[in-house]
Amino acid sequence: MTDDGRLAEFEARLARGEKIEPGDWMPDEYRRQLIRMISQHAHSEVVGMLPEGGWITRAPNLRRKLVLLAKVQDEGGHGQYLYHAAETLGVTREEMLEALLAGKAKYSSIFNYPAQSWADIGVIGWFVDGAAILNQTMLARCSYGPYARAMLRICAEESFHHKQGIEICLTLAQGTPAQRAMLQDAVDRWWWPTLMMFGPHDSDSPNSPALMRWGIKTRSNDELRQEFVDQTVPQAQAMGVRLPDPELRFDAATGHWRFGEIDWDEFWRVVGGDGPCNRERLEARRQAHDDGRWVREALAAYAARP
Amino acid sequence: MNPELRRALAEALLALADDEMILAHRDSEWSGHAPILEEDIAFANIALDEMGHAQLWYRLVAELRDKDPERLPDRLVFRRPASAFRNVRLVELPKGDWAFTIVRQHLFDSIELARLARLAQVGHAPLAQTAAKILNEERYHDRHTRAWMRRLAQGTDESRARIRSALDLAWPKTAQLFLPIPGEERLLEAGVWVGGATLAGAWYAAESGFLGELGLDIEPLPAESEGRDVHTEHLEALLTEMQSVARLEPEAAW
Amino acid sequence: MTDTQWPRYEVFVQERPGRPHQHAGSVHAPDDEIALQNARDVFVRRPECISLWVAPAAAITGVTAQELAERGAAPEAQADGDDHAFEVFAKVEQRGTLIHIGQVAASSAAVALAASRRLADANGALVLWVVPSGRVTRSDEADVAPMFAPASTKAYRDQAFYHVQTALQRMRRSRQP
Repeated sequence: MTDDGRLAEFEARLARGEKIEPGDWMPDEYRRQLIRMISQHAHSEVVGMLPEGGWITRAPNLRRKLVLLAKVQDEGGHGQYLYHAAETLGVTREEMLEALLAGKAKYSSIFNYPAQSWADIGVIGWFVDGAAILNQTMLARCSYGPYARAMLRICAEESFHHKQGIEICLTLAQGTPAQRAMLQDAVDRWWWPTLMMFGPHDSDSPNSPALMRWGIKTRSNDELRQEFVDQTVPQAQAMGVRLPDPELRFDAATGHWRFGEIDWDEFWRVVGGDGPCNRERLEARRQAHDDGRWVREALAAYAARP
Repeated sequence: MNPELRRALAEALLALADDEMILAHRDSEWSGHAPILEEDIAFANIALDEMGHAQLWYRLVAELRDKDPERLPDRLVFRRPASAFRNVRLVELPKGDWAFTIVRQHLFDSIELARLARLAQVGHAPLAQTAAKILNEERYHDRHTRAWMRRLAQGTDESRARIRSALDLAWPKTAQLFLPIPGEERLLEAGVWVGGATLAGAWYAAESGFLGELGLDIEPLPAESEGRDVHTEHLEALLTEMQSVARLEPEAAW
Repeated sequence: MTDTQWPRYEVFVQERPGRPHQHAGSVHAPDDEIALQNARDVFVRRPECISLWVAPAAAITGVTAQELAERGAAPEAQADGDDHAFEVFAKVEQRGTLIHIGQVAASSAAVALAASRRLADANGALVLWVVPSGRVTRSDEADVAPMFAPASTKAYRDQAFYHVQTALQRMRRSRQP
């Protein structure tokens, strides 16, 4: 069969709702896009352990401490599932980690922002996990079997992440003036970066067309972003928390919340590696990797004994 | 149970709770920094288990003191100064390198396993049931840390050397886990406790056998005299961090 | 020595008695014992599980229905040496994952795969994997309590542990004039 023939059959399979499995024929571009996307997703989970992980030692009561440690552990687990999905496409974990630690691989920019207070932990759960769930729910239907299955597992585990964040914010919103101020400050810093998580307008996104065509992405960046805003504004209103957007207003005609324009200069700067914590995050991962080398070698040596 | 006995038992369980809590806190410091992703996940599980155990013991302390088991644990963990903690010094030491963390975890877990196996048989039902529940999870910790001890002690020259250094630091401090706790005689008479002295001999024999298989020699356990009310400077630093957010608004809900 | 993330092991989880083992993902591990432990820590954080299997990815031979269609019918593999047991896994539903469907005896992976296709054709397998039974490390009956029961003590991993909907509603109502 010619490549054109194979491509036609591949797209017919997608149209029939079939899942592509490791070993199936797939266009090089499909494989390339998936490796890029899945490995970035995996790196995001692992790097994402850092801003919250740093607050486990300061969580203010036993429930919060247990829950935060369980959440960060889950994030490690999610990274693990995603590395697996990428590995089924022929890239190794060694290769993916090397690219990350050399600063050549991307990961979600949201984790380049610092978690400055305890309230940030609540807001990260409320905003960042709230946004992630929308994206993940979409990806759970994607055409590549291992990625879809990893996303299903992740979706099932993620809902407590969102809820524990809201629970922290609710407690602070009903707390002392200092606690309410801490919450408002965190909201002011995390709102716009969260909206940026959904990526550029689709018209400015070079990867979207291929991803849409091949059943990897089934909803646009702007659609998902709008859904996030619509779901979150009422929650903020209930908590008495102000969102830092003077243009935010309800449009009765469409039933959606209209919001202001994202600062795309900041978006591209942070994506390009110049965010507040880019260097710190990679340094922490490099340190852990380097410090752990003797351990990995020791266990490999033990296994290799005659 | 008469009031004096209840008070003595509460003190004993507070010690167990503090051990688990401080160790869990140290273990949780590895989150995001472990040598490989799978072990990051695995070790977080151990930390979660230990924290859960601490919570169970703190709740029993609350019941013995007729206090609210939903509120007293947080007060005990987040409001007491270092001088009031009753953990052993072994668990408050910094996490060190991965070898020290594994050695400390292994030594602590194997002693705890020996103690819990006896406590699961005592006459006081809440204590016996809690011990049995914890024992189940500790069995898995023991399997995990033994497997890692075996591999690090016999892996490479570097891993062997690091395990040796870790053992040199941790080993002398295990002796404190076998010291009698204040009020112990009363508890032993009532059949609701197991003394460290009862455990030490058998544990030492088993442990020196296991470590010997790995090519690691150990001294007899040193004589230890300083009790659980004496701490290193590390505990103060640990608690300053651990309690920092709670103390911003000590009476508020978080 | 070049740095290593250790070899991969595929992981199979049996949730309940009477259900087949299902492929859950993989773990990196230096050897079989650590692989089993890592599989438990990565995949059994939440109930349910009564049995766990791991097998080195390198020991697994697989083929997809699409691959077979692409290549045309594979020649019948030649029997070669003594038979030994292979575990067989098949994916039979588009949205499903590989499940354990039985065992075949064969002298090589290629023969096992051919034999499995007959076993699996009744199910219409979309993907087939075979692995020598001797390469599969399995949890013990005695492991169920220490390895799998603790997942049930961590209720905070379940979203039902958090009652935020009612709390949000209550706050919303209290804000209304």
